[in-house]
Amino acid sequence: MTRNRTFRYLTLAILGLYVIIPMYASVQFSLESGYHSKLSLNAYTSALAQPGLGASVLTSLEVSFGAVAATLLLLVPTIIFVHLRLPGVRTVLEAVSLLPLGIPAIVTVVGTLGVYDKAPDWFINSPMILALLYVVLALPYSYRAIDSGVRSIDLHTLVEAGRSMGARWGVLFRRVLFPNIRSGVLAAAFLTLALSLGEFTFASLILPSTPTFPVWLASVVTTSTYYAVALSVVALIVTWGLLVVISVIGSGRPLGASGTPVAGNEEQLLSSAPALQPAGSVALPLEA
Amino acid sequence: MVPAASVMVEAFRDNTGSLSVSNLTTLVDSSQPYLHDYISSLELSAAAAALAGVIGLVGTVALVGSPSPLLRRLVSSACGVLANTGGVPLAFAFIGSIGNTGVVTDLLSHLGFNPYDHGFTLYSASGLVIVYLYFLLPLTVLLMLPPVEALRREWREAAATLGADSRTFWAKIGLPVLAPPFVATLMVLFMDAFAAYATAEVLTTGVVPLVPLAIGQLLQGNVVAGEVHLGDALGFGMVVVVVVAGVLYVVVQRRTSRWLR
Repeated sequence: MTRNRTFRYLTLAILGLYVIIPMYASVQFSLESGYHSKLSLNAYTSALAQPGLGASVLTSLEVSFGAVAATLLLLVPTIIFVHLRLPGVRTVLEAVSLLPLGIPAIVTVVGTLGVYDKAPDWFINSPMILALLYVVLALPYSYRAIDSGVRSIDLHTLVEAGRSMGARWGVLFRRVLFPNIRSGVLAAAFLTLALSLGEFTFASLILPSTPTFPVWLASVVTTSTYYAVALSVVALIVTWGLLVVISVIGSGRPLGASGTPVAGNEEQLLSSAPALQPAGSVALPLEA
Repeated sequence: MVPAASVMVEAFRDNTGSLSVSNLTTLVDSSQPYLHDYISSLELSAAAAALAGVIGLVGTVALVGSPSPLLRRLVSSACGVLANTGGVPLAFAFIGSIGNTGVVTDLLSHLGFNPYDHGFTLYSASGLVIVYLYFLLPLTVLLMLPPVEALRREWREAAATLGADSRTFWAKIGLPVLAPPFVATLMVLFMDAFAAYATAEVLTTGVVPLVPLAIGQLLQGNVVAGEVHLGDALGFGMVVVVVVAGVLYVVVQRRTSRWLR
């Protein structure tokens, strides 16, 4: 028994160290910034003064919020409509929404560039194209989040009750439906945001002219590794913060449609479609 | 709203539609010089998946065995976050740690063992595996946690009653039951590693021959007419690999449901 326990804690401790060491080391690295044994925030302050940082962050925010807005405008009405009128299409939509998980991002880039060759120039070189791609990229997660939100309410009854009391669709949606699926919608929004902010493959290959933050970050290393590491620390903290927010939203959700309480966001996402769902979508590999 | 749905479907048709355009002849013709990329890509992903799978499984078993439910919940939420870490920042975090001037490298060379004197470099295939493990390990734990938790205590007790020791239990019951979900997990890990682009691009800047990097270079270079199809063909090959892994995943997943429900 004691041998068992030693083994157990030793394993967990080693894994824990593996997780912590790179983070600790990169903080240390960025604080030393070349003057060994003398800690300073130099790398951070100089990194923030690098040209292009502001612009790239703005581009990233623009693209990400564009993607979030497009996701919500597209998915929420579609999913509600499909639930109400076309329940048979649900399986198809679900399968389609999983496609981006299987197709490597780089392949999508090849496909996209091939197709958009015919598109007008203003579209090819605008951040809009990235926002639309991120909508697709985030689809496996955003679709699942909103879908399980809609599933957990009695949509038909709510709609009929609202309609019979004379509510127009706009009012019905704003005052009845949205408050009920808010946590699902919020989770979808944050997931899309987190994914869009960190994405590199699409951004670097499709929109090299207007770098997003990750693309700019990858290029700043030629100026100084310290800057790059320092900013990476900041970026990781921001991303983790977003992901923690997502899991808090997820766990604060009411009971799932099946009546079983769900612990975390991951299980919530997973539990909605047991048959079709590859286990891979438990996690969203933001950008590997 | 109907157009909304069709736009969604259309988006996919755009992305994958051009794949079908790449004719097989180009693929066969061009595969010759790029075969090497595929082999090293496959090797790298397989190695990363296998390592992450085995270490992750041991970690999961250790985690499930721990009596503290708080620890378990903490670790599984942490895994959810870490599995999603990746890309450029992660690559730089590792450069800061075990890059050639990284903090850990410094420490190790003070201790008299500089890994860079012993043939190791972060900017290589083995370096990439170490970085990939950072998000593949938590993913393994997430995926294996449900099946390992489902290994019923009763089975263990029944086995003990019948005189099986711990080793016999794992050999005769534990591992056979866990095998299907484990293989499924390996497939997911493999696909994840196989598709990874950002980390590899930033860390190795193309030194390690990998299919995604080859495609990236084709796309970044001045693309001549013939090379457009080369990119398509390479992409098509990747999809084939992913589909094979995906099918295996589905087949194995079916078996999983027999015992673990």
